This record gives sequence, C-alpha cells and structure tokens, in this order.
Amino acid sequence: MAKQTIRRTAANNVYLHKDFHGALSTGIEYLDQQYGPEAVRAYLRQFSSTFYAPLTQALQERGLSALQEHFERIYRLEGGKIQIAFSEDEMILEVEACPAVTHMRQHGYPVARLFYETTKTVDEAICEDTPFLSELLRYDEQTGRSTVRFYRRTP
Amino acid sequence: MIACTEFIPAYSELFKFLESRGGREAVLDFWNYLADNFLGNLKSLVEENGIRGCWLYWNHTLNEEAADFTMELDEDAGEFRIVMHHCPSKGRLLEWQHIEPYHDYCGHCDVLYRRVLEPSGYQYIFDMSECDRAKCSLTVRRKEGAGVSSL
Repeated sequence: MAKQTIRRTAANNVYLHKDFHGALSTGIEYLDQQYGPEAVRAYLRQFSSTFYAPLTQALQERGLSALQEHFERIYRLEGGKIQIAFSEDEMILEVEACPAVTHMRQHGYPVARLFYETTKTVDEAICEDTPFLSELLRYDEQTGRSTVRFYRRTP
Repeated sequence: MIACTEFIPAYSELFKFLESRGGREAVLDFWNYLADNFLGNLKSLVEENGIRGCWLYWNHTLNEEAADFTMELDEDAGEFRIVMHHCPSKGRLLEWQHIEPYHDYCGHCDVLYRRVLEPSGYQYIFDMSECDRAKCSLTVRRKEGAGVSSL
C-alpha cells in the first residue's frame, strides 16, 4: 500500500462545514439534559451578547438594515431561501427551510429539542439594549421553517 | 440561525459556560459526551477501513473547514499524521478581537479523538505546543498487536 500525502491551503477550499450544525445541536441537547432548558437560553444569551456585539451595535446605529444585511449574508452562504419584508420600524424574516435543520435531517444528526432557541433566544439577545425587539411568530421543528418579526419598541 | 461559519465561537463560549457552571470537570464531561455521541462516523470509518479511516474522516472535515494542512497516510507502517499549518478554528478565534477564546479551546481535539481512537487499537499523539499560533500536529499509530481491520 502506497503512502499518500496531501497539502492544502485555506485558498483551496471554501469555509463551509455544515456538520458543525450537528455539533451545536449535540451541545444544545447536552445542556438541556444536564442543566435544564434555562441553561440553554442562558448559554445562547451569553454567546450572542459576546459574539454578535458588533451586530447589536450596528442595529443601534443603523437600525434594521443591519439585521437585514446579516440575515441575507448568512442565508446566502448556507443556501437558505428567505424573504424579508422591510420598513423603517419593522422587518419580517421568512425562512423557507432552515439550512441547519435541513442538513441535520439529511445527514441523520439528531435535532435538539430546543434547537429553535438558536433562532428565538439568539434573535432576542441580538436586540437587547437596542430600540428593537424580536418575536418568533412561527417555527416548524421538522424543517426549521420560521417567521421572525423584528420591530421597534414602544416607549 | 447560527451559521456554521459562526459555530467555532459558539463552541468556545459553550466551553466557557460549562466551566462557569461546573469547573473543568464539566467541560471534560461534555467533551466525552461529544466523542461518544457525535464522532460515531470517525469510529465507524476506522472500524471499517483501519487507519485509512482517519484519512477519510479528516479529508472530509479539513477540506470543508478550508484548513491549511499537510496530511500523510502510511498504511504499511500503520500511521496517519496531520500537520496543521494554520488551524481555521483557532485562527478565527485569535483573529476576532471582540471575543476571548476559551483558555483551553484546543484541548477538545486531544480529548475527543483520543477517546474514539485509543479503544479502537490506536495510539493518539497530539502536539499542542504551538496552539497559541493556531498550529498543531497529530499522529495516529496502530498499536503493536492490535487487531485492527484493514482494506
């Protein structure tokens, strides 16, 4: 049997490893089982307030267009179909099928019971300390199809 | 949705969250759980293909992760090796200025793969000495006398 060697640089490939969705789902399920559902939400709030801090800041400074750009970018990257209805004070995000859930279903990864919190809690956390709120209006656990409304807080 | 390109900081924050709840042991417990519940494909590939299973597993993951690496397989010698010139995960964690990576982020690569490979009859050697520069290497070597299947 011959020896084999391959050499790759970052430029040889596109950074898109969708199996990471399965790893995140495994982590969510573990937290749920070991620490309970509130720990899942607390973790996702902690992650979102840290990692999405620049997005939250952009939302404060530029309004909902910052969120629109964010969602258009990540769903384009993952090949997810979305529709966005947009006005100055409200944005409705319709996701036809969540690329994360689709990938996990196609490849046999278990989808965590609370996986929807990666939409609900994350969106809520991104809006914290901004003039906006988010509301998960609809979520289908089988496909991840969802509708989220972002809207301006009333004084 | 958290995009798969945003998973690495989510993972790092999960380790921090677990450590804040239960100390280092809570992180290790999770890594063991992840090895047992998420790395079944690596285990199956090695059981079905011998040391070549490592090549098949990492050839898929490292290319999708757009890693900068050299990978070597010597089936006669029963040895597989990866030299990670620049880890895409640790590299991103170091690049993002607004997040602080989990202090032992790279430790998961030591715990997870060891837990899968050693019971299957392989020695797992992981060099993390340059992890702070997003570099590492791992060697998987068939143990002497181990009854491991091959092609």
